[in-house]
Order: sequence, then structure tokens, then C-alpha cells
Amino acid sequence: MATTTATVNISSTDLQPGNALGISASTTLYQTGTTTGLELVDYGVGKLTQASAADALAEALGTADTSNYVYICNTSTDKDQYMVIGIHDTVVGNLGSEEWLFMPWNMGDSDAEINIEAETSGSITYEYAIFKSTYTLPAKT
Amino acid sequence: MATTSATITINSDITSSPLRISKTMLLKKFTSTDGIEETTGLRSKKFNATAAVEIISNTEGTADKASKVYIRNTGSSSVEFFYVALNNSAAASDSTETIGKLYGGDWMLIPWIATASTSHDICVAPSTTDEMTLEYMVFQE
Repeated sequence: MATTTATVNISSTDLQPGNALGISASTTLYQTGTTTGLELVDYGVGKLTQASAADALAEALGTADTSNYVYICNTSTDKDQYMVIGIHDTVVGNLGSEEWLFMPWNMGDSDAEINIEAETSGSITYEYAIFKSTYTLPAKT
Repeated sequence: MATTSATITINSDITSSPLRISKTMLLKKFTSTDGIEETTGLRSKKFNATAAVEIISNTEGTADKASKVYIRNTGSSSVEFFYVALNNSAAASDSTETIGKLYGGDWMLIPWIATASTSHDICVAPSTTDEMTLEYMVFQE
């Protein structure tokens, strides 16, 4: 059984004056509803161009309503270059340069793909890792 | 200008060559190098019903500005969870749009577009009537 842990530390000494912020959390990524670690992962590096519309980073091809976790990092150092992150037709948020996100993804239905789009100019390099309960490849064309 | 940093560390032995991700980001204003200056502070709320509940209203952010949302299920159950969604009816599948499931100990940190619409309220739905607790915090311009 594989073991995958994800830890976050959020800190600030001046966001809340007189009350330093220090959040620390760690979780082990398990298969749906179990204490068996996830054993499937898809990770890599890609490049988006601004001319593109939103592209699917990951299709919801596995078993619906399962435990999956998504990490995406916009590695651009240009502050004007951000990525629009969405699930199907809903925009989740804008991922600025040198920013990352980590979230669960239950693949609630077959339309619940993770999609990404580059703004505002040039190309953006991104890194990603998707830890999955099930892994179904796209059908051959 | 405040300085708030968030560091993620992911360690995994899913692949034959250990996977390690470590990335620190500064929480910045939209297309800026200046740090985010506002926050709701860390909230903690107990739930003991399975009905979907709005935990963060879109009015707490500003559309097209940089907002980040941190949410953590403080429990330890690998069976019970919260659905987290960008809609008013967090459920297994919803077209507008369920994000995923946070089991005990799971956390997420995402950018949030905070569009001035109920489609971007953040809602949760517990999987059980047994008491569970969420911690959550919004960082915003």
C-alpha cells in the first residue's frame, strides 16, 4: 500500500496585527472511504498559451464520486500571467504566478473535468499532480 | 502590505521513484506582487445535520480579485466527510459545481473568484448527522 501525505503551513506575522497566523495541517490521502492509501497518480508539467480557450487538464473518466486530490502550480514568474481554474462550466478561481492549489475532486459526474486556461499573454508553464482512486484512460479515437 | 505565505509538501511512494512536491507561495493581490491584506480570520463550526449549508458567501470576496479559501475537516474519520461545492446544494453530483469530499484530516487551499453570484457561494454538506467540525478561512484583497 502506498502512503501519500499532504501538509500545509500558512503563516503571517502581519496579516492579523497582534495575532500572528500559524496554520499547520497534514493529511494522508486514502482511497474512497477507507484507510488504504491511494495508489494511482498522474503528474507532470505542461504549457498553456493565452490564445487557447480552456483545456481539460483531467477528464472525469474514473468512478464517479470518489476520493481524488489535485495539485496545480502556476510556475510563471510574470505577475500578469495567471491561470483560470475550473470544473466543467464553473470557474473556481484565478491561480496567480508562482501560486499553487490543492483540493479534493470527487469527479461527481462525467462532466466534472478539471480545466485550465492561460491569461493574459504568452505561455504559462504549470506543474500538476492528481492522486486518484481510479484511473481510466481516454478512449481510443 | 501584509506578507502571508503558504507552503505545501507532498510526499508519496506511489511511484517507484519517490514523489516529493514542496512549494511555497505568497498570497498576493490579483496580478500584483503586493500581499493580500484582508482575512475573515480562522472560523470553526460544528455540524450535525446532512443538509447543505453555506459557509462562505460570495459577498465576502470581490469578483475578479484574488481570494484564497482554506478549509479543513478537523475530524479523523476515513468514512465520514463533507462535500464542498460552489453551489447551494452540495451533493455528490451537481452541475454548478461540486468540488470534492473532505474526509477527516483533509484540507484544501484554493483560489476563489468570488463572483458576485450565488453560484460562487461555498457550501458544504456533511455525510452524517454525527458531529463534525470544519475550520475555514478566507484571504482576500
